[in-house]
Amino acid sequence: MLLEFLGVAALLFGFFFCAVGVLGVIRMPDSLTRLHASGKVATLGLFGLLLGAALLMPSTWLRILALGLFVLLTSPVATHAIAASVYRRREIVVELGETGAQTESTDITRVDVTAVLSRSRIQDIIDAQERALRHHAPDARAKRDK
Amino acid sequence: MTDSSIVQAVIQVVLLALVSLLIPASYRVIVGPTLPDRLQAVDLITTLLIGIIVMLALVEGTENFVDMAIALAAFAFIGTISIARYISEGRVF
Repeated sequence: MLLEFLGVAALLFGFFFCAVGVLGVIRMPDSLTRLHASGKVATLGLFGLLLGAALLMPSTWLRILALGLFVLLTSPVATHAIAASVYRRREIVVELGETGAQTESTDITRVDVTAVLSRSRIQDIIDAQERALRHHAPDARAKRDK
Repeated sequence: MTDSSIVQAVIQVVLLALVSLLIPASYRVIVGPTLPDRLQAVDLITTLLIGIIVMLALVEGTENFVDMAIALAAFAFIGTISIARYISEGRVF
């Protein structure tokens, strides 16, 4: 009786945080704030649901504990990877001469093309251009060095 | 006896509400202005699916569904990491 009451309370707790997280993912204005909202679903919401399931069906608590430990280990890593991709993408767009505010604009095609270029690939392009310049105008460089 | 029927009703209502939460999450997948937004929304959808599978195990009384949830969590983690690496680095490996 008490176990069922606690289980239902944990289920409702988890569902409340799932709903709040999804609402935040829709309503938040920025990529990183949306990421913050979706992190709440992965921790509080899912753990509430798992705790409720373990209390309502006690024979399966070991598997649910394994699932909870796995989610506890992997969810922050995935969120960190997405946040790092948002940050580096913004850095790349700034390096290519755009302002940071334009990453959130509706100019989707332009931003998506620049996002595929990694920093190392941009450095490769710059190196190749310098090599070509050195090859085509060696005496200009020699004059400049004198 | 009425207690267990109330508990079953609450479980089914929570399951239906979780399934209906998938619709606004997929709105972000379709509309999301940049690529990391879409990736993050797909990650949110897989998290919701893990919760839905656990609730389904409660409704059906089948313990083996939790194993499915563990497998889904593992594959979702690998997929999210690789796509995030693709966005930031330009290549997966």
